[in-house]
Amino acid sequence: MLKKRLVAVIVVKDGRAVQSFGYRRYLPLGRPEILASNLDRWGCDEILVLCIDRGRQGLGPDIGLLKRLASMRLSTPLIYGGGVMTAEQAALVVHHGADRVCIDFALHQDDVQPIREMAVRLGAQALIGVFPLARLGTGLQWLDHRNGVSRAFSRENIALFDQGVISEAMIIDWSHEGCAGAFDIQLVTRFPMHNVPLIAFGGISEPSQAAVLLSLPQVSAVAVGNFLNYTELAAQRFKQQLPDLLLRPTTYSRYV
Amino acid sequence: MSKLLVGLIDYGAGNLASVRHGLLHIGFNCRISNDPVVLSTCDLLLLPGVGAFRPAMQALKASGLDAFLVQQAGLQRPLLGLCLGMQLLTESSEEGGLTEGLGLIPGRVIHFGNRRWHIGWNSLDCVSKDLMFEHSSSETYYFNHSYYYDGPREFQMCTATFGEPFAAIIRRQKIIGIQFHPEKSQDAGRRLLKHMIEGLCHA
Amino acid sequence: MASSDITEFRACSRCLYTTAHPLGLVIDEEGICSGCRVHEEKDSLDWNERWMRLESIVKPYRSQSGRNYDCVVPVTGGGDSYYVLHLVKNLLKLNPLLVTNNKYFNTPLGVRNLANLRTRFDCDILVQNINPDSVRKIIRSTLRKFGSIYWPCLAGQTAFPVQTAVRYEVPLVIWGAHQGLEQVGMFSHAHEVQMTRRYRRDHDLMGYEADNLLSTFDSLTEGDIWQYRYPDDHDLKSIGVTGIYLGNYVRWDPKAQHEQMIRDYAYQSAGFSRTFDTYDFVDCFNYMNLHDQLKLYKHGYSKVTDHACREIRHGRLTRDHGLALVLQHEQKSAEYTGMFCDWLGVQPGALQFLMDNHRNRSFWRETAPRQWEFSGPTVNGTLQLSGVGTQGKSSDRCVFKKNSALDTRENAKYITIGKGYP
Repeated sequence: MLKKRLVAVIVVKDGRAVQSFGYRRYLPLGRPEILASNLDRWGCDEILVLCIDRGRQGLGPDIGLLKRLASMRLSTPLIYGGGVMTAEQAALVVHHGADRVCIDFALHQDDVQPIREMAVRLGAQALIGVFPLARLGTGLQWLDHRNGVSRAFSRENIALFDQGVISEAMIIDWSHEGCAGAFDIQLVTRFPMHNVPLIAFGGISEPSQAAVLLSLPQVSAVAVGNFLNYTELAAQRFKQQLPDLLLRPTTYSRYV
Repeated sequence: MSKLLVGLIDYGAGNLASVRHGLLHIGFNCRISNDPVVLSTCDLLLLPGVGAFRPAMQALKASGLDAFLVQQAGLQRPLLGLCLGMQLLTESSEEGGLTEGLGLIPGRVIHFGNRRWHIGWNSLDCVSKDLMFEHSSSETYYFNHSYYYDGPREFQMCTATFGEPFAAIIRRQKIIGIQFHPEKSQDAGRRLLKHMIEGLCHA
Repeated sequence: MASSDITEFRACSRCLYTTAHPLGLVIDEEGICSGCRVHEEKDSLDWNERWMRLESIVKPYRSQSGRNYDCVVPVTGGGDSYYVLHLVKNLLKLNPLLVTNNKYFNTPLGVRNLANLRTRFDCDILVQNINPDSVRKIIRSTLRKFGSIYWPCLAGQTAFPVQTAVRYEVPLVIWGAHQGLEQVGMFSHAHEVQMTRRYRRDHDLMGYEADNLLSTFDSLTEGDIWQYRYPDDHDLKSIGVTGIYLGNYVRWDPKAQHEQMIRDYAYQSAGFSRTFDTYDFVDCFNYMNLHDQLKLYKHGYSKVTDHACREIRHGRLTRDHGLALVLQHEQKSAEYTGMFCDWLGVQPGALQFLMDNHRNRSFWRETAPRQWEFSGPTVNGTLQLSGVGTQGKSSDRCVFKKNSALDTRENAKYITIGKGYP
């Protein structure tokens, strides 16, 4: 049976892994590739490396970082996001070792043709759309964090999902990032595109939150960032406290 | 005993680094090449693949590697196809319009339809008596695809269930196709890869 | 980060750290660094509540039978070990097994302090001595490749306590302060960060675990490095190994703590040329000398800056006074270099050559063969340019006492194996 997933997130700013709090405050962590190696050993289901300043600075994907990640000989699926705007860039990211690609600013463009081209080249299963969201009235607001302006979803965005151009949407509770136990489940329940598998992220620190989210049929994964950095074996401890069978079994690596 | 040499086929449509590192980690030598002369010296040929079927077949044809692989299969060279590489081994795929494959394993590749994409870790059921796969059913592996193999039962070694069972590993004599990513399935994937490559080469 | 553009690194306007800090430093919109921000918590947290939390955390680890230790406590003759043991034995009333890794660069003062520690606190201690030829082999390789003479010391002192926890089935390991939290605010006290293999590899060992050395250096064999291997996840899990930092539960102030330990437990201190602090690292001939000089070469700042930042944050030094102290000390020559050369088996000229290869071009310029000019943050304007300056007078609360010396004998020498003292 296909299992749901625990995605481990590494947020990267200025080339360094950081803890991110509410898209505003940051604390240093270390080298992204060493965090990745550690998460790989812990047996996370996917590792997501999110470079949060590439798009804003008009830089393309961080290929240097992808090369350093490749040198760590990871054997866990790798998702990369940050600065990917064209199909060429998406293909380059995959060529350098990523299995899947996150797109954020590309979704805010009027012209979604580059995203369609990405899907043609890589397959929609390789594409994840990133949506930093907040509640507004009875609906949702979607943050464009280049300029801090929130907006509604467009017809073009909705079409991308209906037409199967993007396989999953990552719902980020951006204001609750780094805040223990704070992920707002209504961001998931109110998400307007109903047939899209969702990854929940932002303020998920407790297994109990994950258990509730993963029991929703539209949620395919939960992503945890900051909260995997405070204890040893954090990913395994998190998984161990979830009801059996929700995720694939926990592993504890041994020296051979 | 000297290390087995795996020839990793470079035709522009695959993430070679991860596969290469995985192979080295489990104790094989690895040569990345698109040169038939070099690849012919290898104990086993590995066809990786990420992306779409049609451009991948076009790339194989343009380099002449399609004919080379058919020839090598005829010479009983062990051949392993991963993910898209597995699909390329079959007769055809409907991805992007009907496209002919290498035709080395009977069967075709079709879309999951409404279920759309099979993404995540799934377990296998071994449906054949082939001893090579007897230990795989206790493990999970990482899948990331929207097309799957539809072909004769005799070539289906292991299935995974996504709504219904579909072929996760196919085999015809010395040719094996794996739909999932063993190089991205941590220890279980590495164990399987090692087991299969040794099994194919030492048979 | 190879550019030598001075505007590349930003300085905190409150302390003396810059974004060149190897652990990573984040500066907020007000120009205050993450380390200073986390330090602010020390004056706003309810430390009584934190202590109660600590009591509840250690409670399940108390040996029910009384026939095993309650915890493993890593100690040295020159750090916060006295204060840690005071908290562990006197206040938490735990029964600790002390562990220490022999660095070989031991000063007589360090040997004396360690012997005094275990005697005064009446504790059992395990001392690990990894065969010195392997240690030398490793140092020759790590010095050449990444400019470190300290890898075996760091690897040993961070692995041995965890290995002991597994081998003796004593899951709780108690450390003093978390270096990342204290220096750069890597974590908030509220995160209650625990010991992790990731932090050890990333920050203690410069990215190189034991197996990475093996794959990097042909000259090293399994026999040289296996002792430094961290226990695997399976062992950590089956024993339930947990490493906690007292600094998350106690308001950590090394100067005040050391002075209390000098008064109450006869800890002894000594002076260094490269810093004004006399309490830390007195157990090693090289940490505040050669090792510190390499820090300046590679990172553009050295331990005196760490000490100054700490005292600035505790309100005992103004930023300007701190900077003056740093300028006074950071270019002083390393002492006891000859002793290190004899021990390692290298010529002084060869040692300097190897060290010069690791001068960071962002902070050093070779103006003539073997002549170097320093252009680090203390002199290139990064630190002078930013910063608010005085927040009150520099006080005489920032006086460090010394009541001994590293080695009081006429000819200083490493004590490579220290037995009980006297």
